[in-house]
Amino acid sequence: MRQRKRKSRPAQPPLKAIWRATIDDHPIGLAWSPDSKIVAVAGVSGPIMLFNGADGALQHRLPGHAFDTMAIAWRKDSQRLASVGQDGKARIWDAQTGTQKAEMDGGASWVERVAFSPVGDWLVSAAGRKLRLWNSSGELIREYPDANSTITDVKWRYDGKQFAISAYNGVVLYDPAEPEPLRRFEWQGSTLTLEWSPDGKYIATGDQDSTVHFWITDTGQDLQMWGYQTKVLELAWSFNSRYLATGGGTHVVIWDCSGKGPENTRPAMLEGHQGLIKHLKFQRQGMLLASGGKEGMLGIWKVGKKTPALLADAVFKAPIASLAWSKDDRRIAVADESGTLSIAAVQRV
Amino acid sequence: MMNAVEERVPVTVLTGFLGSGKTTLLNRILTENHGKKIAVIENEFGEVGIDNDLVIGAEEEIFEMNNGCICCTVRGDLIRILGHLMKRRDKFDYIMVETTGMADPGPVAQTFYVDDDMQQKLHLDAIVTLVDAKHIWEHIDDSDEAKEQVAFADVILLNKIDLVAPADLEKLEARIKSMNSMAKIYRTRDAVVEMDNILNVGGFNLDRAMEIDPKFMEPEYPFEWSGIYQLSAGTYNWVMGEGPDPAMGAALLPLANMGLAAQEATLMDAVLTFSEDEQALAGGDTMRLGKGQHNQLVLKENGETVFQFTIQQPGYYMLFTEHHPDEFAARLSAADSALAPLEEREYKPDHEHDEEVTSVGITLAGDLDLEQLNGWLGTLLREQGQDIFRMKGVLSVRGWDERFVFQGVHMLFDGRPDRPWGDDLRHNKMIFIGRNLDRAALENGFRDCLAA
Repeated sequence: MRQRKRKSRPAQPPLKAIWRATIDDHPIGLAWSPDSKIVAVAGVSGPIMLFNGADGALQHRLPGHAFDTMAIAWRKDSQRLASVGQDGKARIWDAQTGTQKAEMDGGASWVERVAFSPVGDWLVSAAGRKLRLWNSSGELIREYPDANSTITDVKWRYDGKQFAISAYNGVVLYDPAEPEPLRRFEWQGSTLTLEWSPDGKYIATGDQDSTVHFWITDTGQDLQMWGYQTKVLELAWSFNSRYLATGGGTHVVIWDCSGKGPENTRPAMLEGHQGLIKHLKFQRQGMLLASGGKEGMLGIWKVGKKTPALLADAVFKAPIASLAWSKDDRRIAVADESGTLSIAAVQRV
Repeated sequence: MMNAVEERVPVTVLTGFLGSGKTTLLNRILTENHGKKIAVIENEFGEVGIDNDLVIGAEEEIFEMNNGCICCTVRGDLIRILGHLMKRRDKFDYIMVETTGMADPGPVAQTFYVDDDMQQKLHLDAIVTLVDAKHIWEHIDDSDEAKEQVAFADVILLNKIDLVAPADLEKLEARIKSMNSMAKIYRTRDAVVEMDNILNVGGFNLDRAMEIDPKFMEPEYPFEWSGIYQLSAGTYNWVMGEGPDPAMGAALLPLANMGLAAQEATLMDAVLTFSEDEQALAGGDTMRLGKGQHNQLVLKENGETVFQFTIQQPGYYMLFTEHHPDEFAARLSAADSALAPLEEREYKPDHEHDEEVTSVGITLAGDLDLEQLNGWLGTLLREQGQDIFRMKGVLSVRGWDERFVFQGVHMLFDGRPDRPWGDDLRHNKMIFIGRNLDRAALENGFRDCLAA
């Protein structure tokens, strides 16, 4: 474990607030539209706010879901936003008009996950053990046989040709054109979240039993990383697929996947947070990593061959609930659990 | 610390076989005018809001977690559902988790120990088990789940008592007490019970570990009664009438003073004395006095039998009898006047253990060596953690001014120093509830942890 060096901090603070808004609710989802013109924030009690990304003007307040909203996702054309919630429904909204375009049955009372394919015309929803594939307008394409246990996460590969789900017992890969699963990566534990490396070579998972796994998708090999303080829900890949940042404690842990991969290597352990890490996001095309802690601190780290350094930090009044980088990587949206949404400019370093 | 004001939301786990009255009780809790906003997690499907409250259907998802040498099973669905509920702005005051009829309560209880989010925002208050007083007999002998539900409970409601004869109810209650001597038992009709008896019970609360009912903590003694007498020099008669048994064991031991410590020391001597071979005495014989003198008083077939003894050293004496003197109309007399004991004490009888699931309570004077204790508990839980359902203790650890309190579920436990002993007599109390417990081995193991 190495100390971060304060002297590497630039003289000028690179974080500058652009606008703020409040949603008076615990934010459960936060996402820039792919064109970065809109910031969508879903509150746990249901409503979804669409703010103008440039100035924070409220454009629409979508009703979301009775009981709770659980997740939101943008379609790649920025025209549609999907949401899922505890009313058993997935809904598709027109982001321009704020009207509902489709309402779909998730198959169980809590619909927890939704994901549009980055390429192609698909949407996947997961509700309990029910997995359903739709087209991006909300027409049902396929209902899969029930998973073995509740599906905890669904993520697409970069090319939209595969998606992966996680559940108790590991990960299952699907080709959206095929009804049968492509492959299973099995683990005797409860897998809580997954992230594809941007090049599709790895699937990283965070698990209830305080482990992180790197599944090599070609071979199915499982690299297990033990020693986390808590269950791991925070995973973020750098755009070049070299680094995986993980939470699962008060340190930001960075694995280097270059060369022979992360196996038997010692990760960088970044100190700076006083509370547990709650959220991690790498820039889309840059090497800055944003970390959000339970103590309310937002950290911006420069990750690279040298020891990662904390470039900037800001403290919010409540634990960080969600983080999102804009398309151009110049702005970061931060939502804390009190419902404050802040958009800050991050200077180029 | 956060202990001053408990901000975590209490959770009660409700177990019981199908038909025991769980739904009736839940409806009662939801409709009772207690001013609390309650979320209920049921094992049935669907989600309904009832006025202020919320009922959520859950499907039990049990999985095993291994973390080093600790292994436990937890409910993944609860982690997810409760984690989400705790994000809501309008917080709940109370959460009830209903398990399926056939559920082992272990995974639910352990869930509250292994997940950080759960630990920070929720605390397990108690496990409440409903028992169908009429139909429990169909399960209690051969259903592991029925036994586990009784064994895990902090509170047991013997429900549907109107369908059972009083004698059968007594029998049932005795049976349940022998399995779980820690639980509070209430007899109910239609699950009617004071909310205070099932909500905020503090069954897993370390602050209340001190409130362990002293009676169940008592070790089982080979005698049922003792009386303290102040005797001057002279000859005394112990007079016994006919009773349920033809003979009775007895020991008469000197007592240094009326203080608790002295009584405790004499009590230990009596336990040792009763473990010695007994010496049979017939009417008119002289009872032997002191440590190691285990008298077996053999009664005449008819009428009263009189035994004698002589006191040379005036002072306090403690008489221990195998059965309660009242069962034999027994009394102590000097010359021709009857003597009343200054103090009497009754002990829990040392009944036969034919139960697979039992409670073992141990009390021990002296200070424990922390390292020894950790080693013993570690090994014990590693080897028998699956069979030890619950344990609680208040311990006197050498070098610590405070009481050390702890409680656990299977292999998971937490403990911390509590209030100082001050002038109180330092001693250790511990209870285990589990399957196939070996009382002698537990007592010996615990005793070996005493500081040299």
